[in-house]
Order: sequence, then C-alpha cells, then structure tokens
Amino acid sequence: MAPDPIPARHVPTLECRNCGAGAPVDEHFCPQCSRILALGRHGDYFSFLGVPRRLTIDPAQLERRFRDLSRQFHPDYFYNASPSERLASLERSSYLNDAYRALRNPISRIEHLLAIEGLPPAKSEGSSAGSGQTVAKVPAGLLEEVFELNEQLDEIRESRESGTDAAVLRDRLDSARKPIDLKREEHERKVELLSAQWDQQLDAGDAAAKRATLEALRERLLERNYINNLLATIDREAANLEARADSSVRL
Amino acid sequence: MGKVVGIDLGTTNSLVAYVRDGVPHVIRDASGDALVPSVVSLGEDGTFFVGREAQRRLLTAPSRSVYSVKRFMGRGIDDVRDEAALLPFNVGGQPGGVVRIGLDDREFTPPEISAFVLRELKQRAEDDFREQGEFDFEVDRAVITVPAYFNDAQRTATRDAGRLAGLEVLRIVNEPTAASLAYGLDQRDRGIIAVYDLGGGTFDISILKVEDGVFQVLATNGDTHLGGDDIDRLLVELVLAEIDGSKDEAAIGQSAAVGRVLPSRPAEEIQAIRKAVIEAKLDLTEAEEAEIRVETLAYRRPITRAEFEQLIRPLVERTIQPVRQALADAGLEPSEVDEAVLVGGSTRVPLVRRLVSELFGRTPHSELNPDEVVALGAAVQADILISGRREMLLLDVTPLSLGIETMGGVVSKIILRNSTIPASGREMFTTGVDNQTSVDIHVLQGERELADDCRSLARFKLRGIPPMPAGLPRIEVRFQIDANGILSVAASELRTNIAQTIEVKPSYGLTDQEVERMLIESFEHAQADVDARLLIEARNEAESVIHATEKSLRRPNFAEIAAVDLQAGEQERIEAALDAVKQAMAGSDRDAIRERTHALNHATQHLAEVMMNRGVREALAGKNVKDV
Repeated sequence: MAPDPIPARHVPTLECRNCGAGAPVDEHFCPQCSRILALGRHGDYFSFLGVPRRLTIDPAQLERRFRDLSRQFHPDYFYNASPSERLASLERSSYLNDAYRALRNPISRIEHLLAIEGLPPAKSEGSSAGSGQTVAKVPAGLLEEVFELNEQLDEIRESRESGTDAAVLRDRLDSARKPIDLKREEHERKVELLSAQWDQQLDAGDAAAKRATLEALRERLLERNYINNLLATIDREAANLEARADSSVRL
Repeated sequence: MGKVVGIDLGTTNSLVAYVRDGVPHVIRDASGDALVPSVVSLGEDGTFFVGREAQRRLLTAPSRSVYSVKRFMGRGIDDVRDEAALLPFNVGGQPGGVVRIGLDDREFTPPEISAFVLRELKQRAEDDFREQGEFDFEVDRAVITVPAYFNDAQRTATRDAGRLAGLEVLRIVNEPTAASLAYGLDQRDRGIIAVYDLGGGTFDISILKVEDGVFQVLATNGDTHLGGDDIDRLLVELVLAEIDGSKDEAAIGQSAAVGRVLPSRPAEEIQAIRKAVIEAKLDLTEAEEAEIRVETLAYRRPITRAEFEQLIRPLVERTIQPVRQALADAGLEPSEVDEAVLVGGSTRVPLVRRLVSELFGRTPHSELNPDEVVALGAAVQADILISGRREMLLLDVTPLSLGIETMGGVVSKIILRNSTIPASGREMFTTGVDNQTSVDIHVLQGERELADDCRSLARFKLRGIPPMPAGLPRIEVRFQIDANGILSVAASELRTNIAQTIEVKPSYGLTDQEVERMLIESFEHAQADVDARLLIEARNEAESVIHATEKSLRRPNFAEIAAVDLQAGEQERIEAALDAVKQAMAGSDRDAIRERTHALNHATQHLAEVMMNRGVREALAGKNVKDV
C-alpha cells in the first residue's frame, strides 16, 4: 500500500509513547523502556519480519519467525497493559498477520516486493493515465494461443447448442486447454528463474540490472493474470458441459 | 478484581469452568451435573426460571418458556421466520430489525434471554467459589465461546449478552478452537488437528496446526443452523405424521427436506413429543433399538438404530461439504490430518462417528466429555489472558470475508475469510459530487459476489468531509477485526488529515444506547431477580423436606413404627405441617414457605431421630462388634 521506498535502516523514526525515546522503524519494542511500540506507517513486510528481501524463502523458517513474533505481539499478552500498548499490540499483530500471509505465498511475495520497490503491479505499462484498466492488453507472448483458444471455445459453444454429445465436447475442451497449460508451466519456470536472479542481484547486482529484473517480474505477473483468466474461462465452459450432462440424466 | 471464568453458552446446554492450580475444572451442581439447560421461563407471577427448572416448564408452560435462543442471536426476523413458526413461544420483531421474543406482555431480545442463562452460570460459579472459602468470590469477567462460523453480528450479540449479565467479556473464542486448547493440555506435540464440532444448533469444522504450543487455525467452515435440534425436529415430524394417521414415510422425508411447517398442535403436545424423541435418540447411542413413548398422547413406537440413521443421514451428510471446503482452504488432503477430535453432544450419535472416521481415515478422539471440552478450553483461554502465561497461544481466523458494497451492488472484499485475526484492511473512497460532505458505506460479510447475497453488518455514514470538487477527497477507511472476530471501523481524509466521524448502524444488532438502556433496566429488575432467586431457593428447600417426610410416611412398616415409637397425635401433627407447606408452595410468599418448612422440620425432628436409630439398628443387626 505504501509505494514510497523505505527509509535507510536504523534511522530513528518511531517515538515511544511511553518514555518518548526514539526507535528505529523496524524495532518492535522500545530500546529504552522495552514497551511495545506503536506501529506507525510501516510499509515493508520483509524488514518487519526481519528477513532479507529475497524471493526464495524457507517456509519453515518464515513460519518460525511468524510464531516468534506472534508470541511477542499478541493481544492476549497485553490484556493488563495500558490502552496505548493494547492498541500497539493489536496493530502489530494485524500487520504481522498481513505480512506473513503476503510473504508465505510466492506470488503475493513478488507483488509486495514490486510495491516496495516502487513498481506497483496494478498499473499496466501501456495504459495512459485515465484510461480504464479493465481493457487488459493481451501479453505479446500469448497472442497466438489466445486467438486459437477463442476460436475453439466459440466452436464448442456452438456445438453445445446444437446438441453435440457432451463427452465429445469435453475431449475437445481438454485439447484446447493443453497449450494454455503448457504456457502456464513455462510461465512458472520463468518466474522461478527471475526470482533466483533477483536474489543473486540483491547482494551483487547494480541498480539498473535489478530494475530490469523487477520490470520483467511485473510483466510476468500481468501474463499470469491473463493465463489464469483463460484457464478460468475453460473451467466455466467445462462446468456448463457438466451441468448439461446432469440435466440430461434427470430427463 | 473478581474471578474470571470460561463459559460455553450453548444452544441446548451451557456450562461454566475455571482454572485452579493450572488445571481447568467444570463447575457442577450438588448432584454432579455441569449442564445448565439454556432455557429461560417466565413464571405466572413474574419470576424467571433458568436451567433445569425452566426446562421442566417447557412441558407445563411452553408459551412462556424459551429454548434454543442461540439460533436467534444477531439475526433479523426475516432470517428466522420459517424456523420461528415451529416454536411454541412468540418470535417477532420489525422487518429489518433484531428478533424479539414475547413472553407474557414483555418483549426480550435474544441477548437479554441469553443474559439470564449467563447470570445463572455466574451465580453458580460464585456459589462454588464461596463454598471453597474464597474471600473474593465475585465473578466479573469471562471468556465466552461461540461457533467458529458465527458472523460479526452474532459475536457482537454474544458480547452484549455478557455485558447485560454483568460480565466483562475478555474474549470471544471459537468453540472448536477452545476444544483444541483443552485437548492440547496433555498432548503438546505438533501436528494437524481437525476439530469436528456438532452441537445442539450449530456445526463447525476447524483445521489447526499445532507447533511449539501455538494453536494456529488454518481454516474454518461450518453451518450455524445444523445440529441436534434438527435431528429432534425430524423425529418430532415423524411422530406427528404418524399420530395424524399418515404413515407415508416418503412424505416425512420430504417434509424434512423442505422444512414444512408443523401442523398446528398445542404447544404442550409438541414439547411432550420433543422430550420423548430426545430420550429415544439418547437411548439409540448405546442400544440398537429404542422406544418413543409419549404418555400423555398414549403413543408408543419402537425405533431401530438403522431406521434412525436412515432418517438423519441427509442431515449428517450436510457436514461433509464444509469439511471438504475447510481442508481445501487449508491446502490439505484428509490424509494429512494427524488427529480428528469430536466436540458437541451430537457427536455421540454413532452415525456421526462413523462418518468422521471415514472422512479422515482414522478413529476420532473423544476422550474428553464432548459436552464439557469447550468450557474447559474457554477456562484455559481465560487463564492465559489473566496470568500472561505464554506457553500456549491461540491464533484464530475470521470465518467469513469482509467487504463493502461498490457500484452496481457488487461486493469488494477487504479481508478474506480464513485470515488470521487480528486482521486489518483499508480502502480508499472519494466523492461523486462537488462539495459532497458525506459518504455512505455499506459493510458486508460473506463469500458471495453480490451485496444482496451477503450478510449486511452495518451502514456507515462518513461525515465532515471538507468541501472539494468531486473525486478529490481521499478518504481512507480502515477496518479492524480484533482477536474476538469483531469489526471496528475508523476513517480519515488524507488530504486534510481530518478524522471522520462515523455513525454506526448495526444491521442486526443492538446499538450501544440500547445495551445501556437494557443494563439500567436489568439493575432495576435486580431486586426482583434477587427476590425470585430466594423464592426458588425456599421452594427447593421445602420440596426436599416434603419429599423426605413423605418417604418416611409411605414406608410399608410406618404403622408399626408409629405405634411403637411415636407419641399420641404426633403423626397428625406431622401431616398437618406437611399440608401447610404444600399450601404455601401453591403461592409465592417466600416467608410463608420458609416458616412452614421450618415448622415441618421441627414437627418431623423426632420422627427423623426414630428413623435414624432404626436404620442404625437394622444395619448392625447380625453383625458382631468386631465388624463395627
């Protein structure tokens, strides 16, 4: 949600409401009086959880971190605390839960990375400001498949209306699905590759190379949405066939 | 500070527990019974009866006795009209408003009725603490459990009920999660646990991951209108259909499917049938065959377990889909579940046990009493809250997605179902007209795409937006679901940094003002309630003395005893005193009942000594001194 790049680490930006001491933005408890700190406007799930900004994360390690922090923040343990500490506990716990959910899933992890690196994925690069984002541009690598699929789906719908046997149509739908499934697999491989590339560049890469990787990742996410929509369309058509098969049994 | 307890506020029964020396205990009455029936009855003289006493009155005063009120918590009359038609008491309310229950000439909301049950539990706990010699025995705080699938309105109604009963509700905890806490006490290992909770009125399934003492709910699902009550209703319909002469089995099954309204019959009869079928249902847990006996209607019918299972199978199978959905949401296969746990009285039904075994491919746990395990877990959670102990932590989820209505009545989701709570979300709003100073927001809960198909939680009006051209204000609305699963909302205009005032109109709940008013009324009624309690206590005492006296008088050898051991006229004096107490019992003059009870006690003192001496002699007869 906060597209601003994060401030450099260990700049005191939080103020303890209990003792007034300053605290680095990624601290959870006041270094002076050890009370829980108000959340403020934190925007970076990686630094909040205290994990490096990598796309390859060991799920077990992330989960342990989540449990550790839950044990520190949870409102259960602040029942007798002051109202401001109770609020801080509520805010930190909520934020922790959001952060864990976002980083646990590899795709939402990429989305969050893009957001904090200043490349929010929602803005499609071709669309000028003001034009509706609903007109999704077909990603270049998919043009051929999309064209082919739409043609086949039209044929299947026509045949369905003219009463062709459901089993035949199901076979045709399966074969129409195959190229999209292949695209999806290819897409997964590319995302994995780019993710690994980002992790390598994180320590050694120059700014321009990192930027290029992030932009490539953003392109992949747009492509992913498109592929998923295509698969959903095929599933809907399959459900239509099933529904028709059901009703014919009853008759 | 007073004591803290855990309360399971159930559809059929409620109970209270607390932790002593690190171990949770359920509080029982003198006869060892922990369950307080969730029944409230208004006496003809204005006294309230709660629990067993009220349950007895279901048969004698059905229109003045409320049961299963949990089904109405946080709901509107439009939601419950069909179901209300089957109940012997009066259920009404304004369309679009909360349900109201009419008892005599008074009207109550479901939280007010639940508050009676909570007060009874509070009283029971305080009596227990006092008996243990606790100096500070007042119970002023509680953890109360709700079905995991309860929505925001139902949770809020439960919290309101607690407030009305004079309890600060520290936490609303989901029943299956509480149950897992109770189980987790001895088996602190890691693994995936499925809690299958089929109670009197609701069904819940929760999938948890337990590791290092953290009980993290991965997914939950359920049906807030599926439970033992529905099984009873099917059986009642079966009996009614037979009494009415229609022995057409198919018609019965059909009526169950479409929820046909019962033929109108006197409420007394329906309750007598209901009691009889519940007894038969319980018998069928152990026996292969039982009998439904309604004495007052001279109706008897044998029922085999096979017949019973055929009847209820469609109901029980309604739990399968929620189980599948919860597993899918958790990203798990049934085989990945390490332990299945049974909770709720209805899991005693053998068919339910078989189904759960089949679903998870393993025999489910039922070591802890399925009626008590939720209250025990609530007590554990209460202890965690007040002691600050950190060995165990419960991380629950919100069962339903939260969203707001957008253009064209479509719901935009802000917090997704199965998000770990506390959870927050934010959404930006702007104005559509120049110089618009307020914006209406409709908050919804549910999984459907259209607002009409989701649960309306509240309507908010954001006021105090600085006049600006349309589209310019940037109003951020923040939604916060707390650890109770209850929503709160805050908003601010980001350009001017002005916090907005929010007017909350809960769609199916009570406003704070209404709760305040009810609280004041309940204080006004407090004296009357104390009087009512004292009257009940006096009656109970009188009843036990009457019972003991009559038992003596009815002994087969009483004539002989009277002749040998009693003085002239003593028997007549006792009988006169007995009649006097019985007469007083017909009225509601507490002092008269107590006086005459004491008089009877006095009159029977000598008789009691005689009986005791005889008892000792009889017991010793034939034994030599060494054995004594």
